[in-house]
Amino acid sequence: MTGELGLYALILLLGTLPTYVWRFVGVLVAQRLDPDSEVLRWVRAVASALVSALVARIALVPPDLLNSTTLVDRWVALLAGVAAYYAARRNIGIGVAASVATLFAAQLLV
Amino acid sequence: MDAKQDPRAATDAGTAGRDDRPAYDWSAFPRGALGAVSVPGLVMSASFVGFGALMRGFDFELGVGLFMTATIWALPGQVVMASMVVQGASLVAVAAAVTLTAVRLLPMVVLVLSEIRVPRAARWPLYVMAYFIAVTIWMISNQQVHALPRSKRLPWLLGLGCTLMTWMLVMTATGFLLAKALPPVLAACLVFFTPAFFCVSLFDAIRERMDLFSIVAGAGLAPVALWIAPEFDLLLAGLIGGTAAWIAGRIGGRRT
Repeated sequence: MTGELGLYALILLLGTLPTYVWRFVGVLVAQRLDPDSEVLRWVRAVASALVSALVARIALVPPDLLNSTTLVDRWVALLAGVAAYYAARRNIGIGVAASVATLFAAQLLV
Repeated sequence: MDAKQDPRAATDAGTAGRDDRPAYDWSAFPRGALGAVSVPGLVMSASFVGFGALMRGFDFELGVGLFMTATIWALPGQVVMASMVVQGASLVAVAAAVTLTAVRLLPMVVLVLSEIRVPRAARWPLYVMAYFIAVTIWMISNQQVHALPRSKRLPWLLGLGCTLMTWMLVMTATGFLLAKALPPVLAACLVFFTPAFFCVSLFDAIRERMDLFSIVAGAGLAPVALWIAPEFDLLLAGLIGGTAAWIAGRIGGRRT
């Protein structure tokens, strides 16, 4: 019971707050900060690397629902999505659709 | 800088009220809802269906997924948090990782607000608007907001934000329920929408070489970091990979 409520409190404290803080700071600096400053570039690099690592981790150590796929399936599907994205002149929708379609096809082939 | 020196503020924010303080034109709020019907909105829907399915995969209750969507409203942070909680990561590690993924919202907020802000108008709408700003809203804003006069931009985008959030709550629930009902092959596809969307979005956000370095370094360090420090792997890969990419970008010069 307390565990349940604790989870929601945890989300507010460890999820909502750290997220909104940056939006709040964004409002404060909206007038002043140069979007090309070195600090922001570093921040962007770290954030990109982190999300990239997240994608890689989901591919390496997948959640249970991805158990019907192999490691190769997942990596091929991600790369196929990126390839389709560029082939379709940087269209995100086509990239994502191609990625998921590849994962679907790869499962049927096995 | 006052309105006299900023001709855009003087003309676009001309709908000022009784006094001469410029104001937002809230009549644009309901029409913002239409902006949700777009390719970015569709991809976002699919990835929130994926998030719902992922939450099911992690064995959370539906309420937890909905609560995360409504209160965090940033998919990478939501996924990072959910996966770390499941892993049993320490609270400090969770907060630090979520903080780091949310840092990327800062430049987005700055960029969006610089396009939609009416100088000298009331400030509270900015703090409300910022709550809704994330990747997709930033992209839609880039595409659509320029067609509107400045006084209508923020209300329009806020209308869009409210619509998207309502819709994404429906999508989160849909994904959660579908993941239970679907055969494993399709459920796997649904879950895969999220990493696929992140992966393609990372490449879509490439503006200079450094961005590509970051993607490669982050993905390349992930297995090493997972092996060395499974509790801090995302932080480790992000900090080391990102810093390396930033340094490499500086050495290589800021070219695209």
